[in-house]
Amino acid sequence: MSVTHDEVLKIARLAELDVSEEALPLLAEQMSRILEYVAQINAVPASEGVKPFVPGPDALRFRADEVKPIPLAFGPEALAPAFKDGFFLVPKLGAFEGADS
Amino acid sequence: MSDPSEALASAKATADRLVKAKRLNACLTPVGELRKALVTQAQAAHPSGVLYGMPVAVKDNICTLEFTTTCGSKILESYRSPYEATAVAKLKAAGALIAGKTNCDEFAMGSSTEHSAYGRTLHPFDKTRVPGGSSGGSAALVAAGAVPAALGSETGGSVRQPASLCGVVGIKPTYGRVSRWGLVAFGSSLDQIGVLGRSVHDAARVLSVISGRDPKDSTCEERDPLRLPNVPESLQGFVIGIPKEYFPADLDPAVRRACDRAVRLCKELGAAVREVALPHTAYAVPTYYILAPAEASSNLARYDGARYGPRFDGSADVRALYRTTRGEGFGAEVRRRILLGTYVLSSGYYDAYYRKAQQMRALIAQDFRNAFDRGVDLLFTPTTPSPAFKAGEKLDDPVAMYLSDIFTVTANLAGLPAISLPIGRVKGLPLGGQFIGQAFLEDEMLEAAYALERVVPGTEEA
Repeated sequence: MSVTHDEVLKIARLAELDVSEEALPLLAEQMSRILEYVAQINAVPASEGVKPFVPGPDALRFRADEVKPIPLAFGPEALAPAFKDGFFLVPKLGAFEGADS
Repeated sequence: MSDPSEALASAKATADRLVKAKRLNACLTPVGELRKALVTQAQAAHPSGVLYGMPVAVKDNICTLEFTTTCGSKILESYRSPYEATAVAKLKAAGALIAGKTNCDEFAMGSSTEHSAYGRTLHPFDKTRVPGGSSGGSAALVAAGAVPAALGSETGGSVRQPASLCGVVGIKPTYGRVSRWGLVAFGSSLDQIGVLGRSVHDAARVLSVISGRDPKDSTCEERDPLRLPNVPESLQGFVIGIPKEYFPADLDPAVRRACDRAVRLCKELGAAVREVALPHTAYAVPTYYILAPAEASSNLARYDGARYGPRFDGSADVRALYRTTRGEGFGAEVRRRILLGTYVLSSGYYDAYYRKAQQMRALIAQDFRNAFDRGVDLLFTPTTPSPAFKAGEKLDDPVAMYLSDIFTVTANLAGLPAISLPIGRVKGLPLGGQFIGQAFLEDEMLEAAYALERVVPGTEEA
């Protein structure tokens, strides 16, 4: 399993993660090695009848659908890099995905 | 302890011990802030609490109100949580003193505590070696005698592996035994808060306090807190299984010797010992390193510089902001795992990796059920394949690093409880052995650990 530089860049775009040109060769090499290693699970015959194992309670409990104050020691304005009038401020959306993929 | 003056003395003595342990880079909380917080907590703590005055350090991926919660990452530098973890709230309600935040691999991704944005933690007995990870700061502080117990977290062995390498006790509870509310998510179907302690008793006491139902976490079971068992006189009636897959021909000879001695002692205590097979063990690490990065890639999508944490770019485009913040804010190992997780979940690869890994996980869990159904109460295995390794030794080889977890990931995949305890040393370096128990039968597992701890020469050469 060999991951190309282009594949790393494509995945990085999906993950919204900048990867520098210098980091690409090592990253591609390490990802290839890891994927080759984990692919050994395919040596086990297909087990279509096996139900996925999910730990924890059999059924998730739901809380009552009530509006309650959010129990925070302080509000988001104290945490946010930029916050105004109850909103998180971010730069505008530039190009859509189609334009840079 | 029930006297406020004793609690205050404990707070001050803890601060002094943490200052002495500073060389380990195990505690991320500045000493002045820590001293002040410990004294304030000691003055406010209720003397009737079962942990009154007991200092407990907390891994830095567990939210606290008193201290920052950085997860060992630059992307959460200076982050102060507006709420605290249920486990921390329960500790405080029991009178424990939160003794600062401990260093860890970034977002708990690592097995050596070298992947922290705040520098690596040193092994308490040999500064050229790693303390294990990702809860390496918690393990190092307990091993150095700075605190009697500390909280850690487990996704693939991050409590037991450092406990083993540092010569302390580490407990990973059954998935659902302890609330995950306030534990920063890495792999949600695997994550559990665990405990490291100087002894089985110290770790078990803390586990008992933090366990039990929590309406804030729907994956936490509706159960009462764990009741601590008595220390048994013998292991008469226990059937301990020895899975042959955990004792490969190339196992480190010292690890094998220490395990053989521990098994012999279990027999002398009256336990019946029998070999068992867990045939899918060889696929546990590959399975884990598909599922955990997949879950991580989703859980870590929230760190984008929009709502909290630092923002690494003043770009006019929001997507450039996300990419730069995440690219600069995450370290190399976290970036690698996010990319791997995104890859295995992407169209065209999902069936070959993620879906197949989910099936493997079910087969691994079934292996354990089969062993327990055949009358085995507990399993005993080495915790790690070797003692603490040299710093830097595995940094350039991720697969070699991942294989440090080879004996621990199975319990996480199957959601089972496990405890690691010291069973000997090699050239002064600690070795751990673990009991893996049946789901929600931590009491049986603790009984066996209490009994073995009493007789095993945990600090002697194996």
